[in-house]
Amino acid sequence: MTLIGAYAVVAPTITSLQLNAGAIAPEMAVLIALLACLVVDLAGEGVASRWVPPICYAGLLSALVLLALQWDAPLEPSFLGSFLADNLAVAFRAVVAGSTLLSLLISWRYVESSGTPVGEYAAILLAATLGAMFLCGSTDLISIFISLETLSVSSYLLSGYMKRDARSAEAALKYLLVGSAAAAVFLYGASLLYGLTGGGTGLDAVALALKTSETPVTALALVFVLATVAFKIAAVPFHQWTPDVYEGSPTPVVAFLSVGSKAAGFALALRLLVGCFDSFETQWKLLFTVLAILSMTLGNVVALAQTSMKRMLAYSSIGQAGFVMIGLVCGTEDGFSAMVLYMAAYLFMNLGAFACIILFSLRTGSDRISDYAGLYQKDPLITLGLSLCLLSLGGIPPMLGFFGKIYLFFAGWADHQYLLVVVGLITSVVSIYYYISVIKMMVVKEPQEASDAVKSYPDITWSVAGMPSLRTALVACVLITAVGGVLSNPLFNWASATVAGTPMLQRAIASALPVALG
Amino acid sequence: MSIASTAQFICFAALSITLVVGALGVVLLPNIVYSAFLLGGVFLSVAGLYLLLNASFVAAAQVLVYVGAVNVLILFAIMLVNKKENLAAIPGLALRRVLSGAVCAGLFALLLRVDLTTSWALPGPEPLGDEATLRIGEHLFSDYLLPFELASVLLLMSMIGAIVLARRDVLVSDVITGEPVDQGLIEKERIPLLLDRSALESSLLEKTP
Repeated sequence: MTLIGAYAVVAPTITSLQLNAGAIAPEMAVLIALLACLVVDLAGEGVASRWVPPICYAGLLSALVLLALQWDAPLEPSFLGSFLADNLAVAFRAVVAGSTLLSLLISWRYVESSGTPVGEYAAILLAATLGAMFLCGSTDLISIFISLETLSVSSYLLSGYMKRDARSAEAALKYLLVGSAAAAVFLYGASLLYGLTGGGTGLDAVALALKTSETPVTALALVFVLATVAFKIAAVPFHQWTPDVYEGSPTPVVAFLSVGSKAAGFALALRLLVGCFDSFETQWKLLFTVLAILSMTLGNVVALAQTSMKRMLAYSSIGQAGFVMIGLVCGTEDGFSAMVLYMAAYLFMNLGAFACIILFSLRTGSDRISDYAGLYQKDPLITLGLSLCLLSLGGIPPMLGFFGKIYLFFAGWADHQYLLVVVGLITSVVSIYYYISVIKMMVVKEPQEASDAVKSYPDITWSVAGMPSLRTALVACVLITAVGGVLSNPLFNWASATVAGTPMLQRAIASALPVALG
Repeated sequence: MSIASTAQFICFAALSITLVVGALGVVLLPNIVYSAFLLGGVFLSVAGLYLLLNASFVAAAQVLVYVGAVNVLILFAIMLVNKKENLAAIPGLALRRVLSGAVCAGLFALLLRVDLTTSWALPGPEPLGDEATLRIGEHLFSDYLLPFELASVLLLMSMIGAIVLARRDVLVSDVITGEPVDQGLIEKERIPLLLDRSALESSLLEKTP
């Protein structure tokens, strides 16, 4: 009866509530680009390959501009509490949109030369972006679930996009089965949370209900929700899908999955764990410590044994996610900003590496590490770009990745997470070994030791449509990776402003402070 | 106990037993057609439970969507591809079954423990009955507007994806360069070095006239 009474009071005011729909203006830009791609695609494949790229650029760039306009805007929950455009959401949505823009720039030639339709490819990738962007800002269990599904379903479709290839079909099927199981587990956890709130799905209501309920139900819900988050960011032991999916999917899709999808996963982790489960802080921090140690160790150690470049980057991305989790476990101001900074750095260095391996496979049709032998003789651009990006991923000093990693370790050390930092340092050294061995393969080999693929290397031309955009993305990523390290001050400021402009994170930091002092 | 509550209890017991037995049958029966029909039974008993909870709209949606659409689709898919195939025996199947059974039993014990130790707020809120439809509509256009609209993007994308995966007319040449293409990954599986290349290439040429 109380519910009905409350409803009767609320009902007249529904019409006078503010939607604040402006908060999702960037997503609208992406959505318009998506629909425009589909419409243009009706005119045939030739027209599509001419017009789809500029439409996507326009949509994503205007999304980025609109995101910049939302920076530090006064906070109003929009859609009656379904969405919140705080600085955290803006930063992670920018990372997602940026990763889509770069993945699209490097994918046109790849998609064309595999003979798959470009219009649908771009539309599905934009839908995945839309889902990931909504996921970063959702503050409601239903919105989180729907945006998670939009991202996941589009990812399944993209990984199976080269449908005549058995590896791609296998990747899609594996991803679909494991991903559906993860979605079901999330739904179970969310239904438990819904029951605890007594009929509310907003994260605020959930956080409030979790404070007062000390029952094992909450622990169960925590484990279920955490499993989904760990699946999305591919943390060990929820990583089994990653190597197979990364190896079988089209390479530009892997580039998006490894950055965009992962960034959305981390935003979800922050919203759910820091914003919602703050009364179970010790429990989830313990679980995440275990996940981080396992991810760093297994990801970096197994990567040593890989012979395929895509598979090696898959394991390395598992390890990199482990590093980012250090920032999440810290829960301090530095920890959160180190997370944001490292995600931004990871965007450029990982996509730069992917641009290089896509270019190499376009020219040779191979992604074997041994086929890179002696490449510096034939293609200095790939050699230089890949070397710089891999060095940055390994955390070698002047690069952007070094500053990101050192900030993470610094934050961990300041928060007394000694075990995590020590494991991180040791596994970084391991990771440097396998990154360097690729560079050694490219640079040190004599011309007569070069692989067959390199010996029959085609002449370098950039005239075919789609190649100039690939070159632009490659050069931009490599430049930012190389120079961004020295000029990283704006990035540091941006990362701290992200944390400072997010009330949810500020509350978590403030509540953690007395414990740290005492 | 009044007649009404007795009848309700009997209905609940019958539906629950059908549900549990049916669900076990879905998982355990070796014949996939039986599993699919039992799944329909499970969906129907869930709809019956919704009716008992006075949620008639949800029950109707359950019957229409799950039994009428999803289950029929599953049956169609099974009938279309149902060919006898002797699959190779999986090594260590018994051990795998024991392990997965142990995991399931552990999860069940955990859920049972949670269920018994939690103090549930009973009785729950008064059911709205037929007014529920109005409430759902109001929610869809007020606080759940964003997920409702986003679901349309999700459905659009699933539809397009299904068409992309299922359609047969495919490009045989690169739109821009005119080179032949095969809709596969660019990274080809490497030809083993010990194989005679010329023989392999000629056999490839024969396959693609």
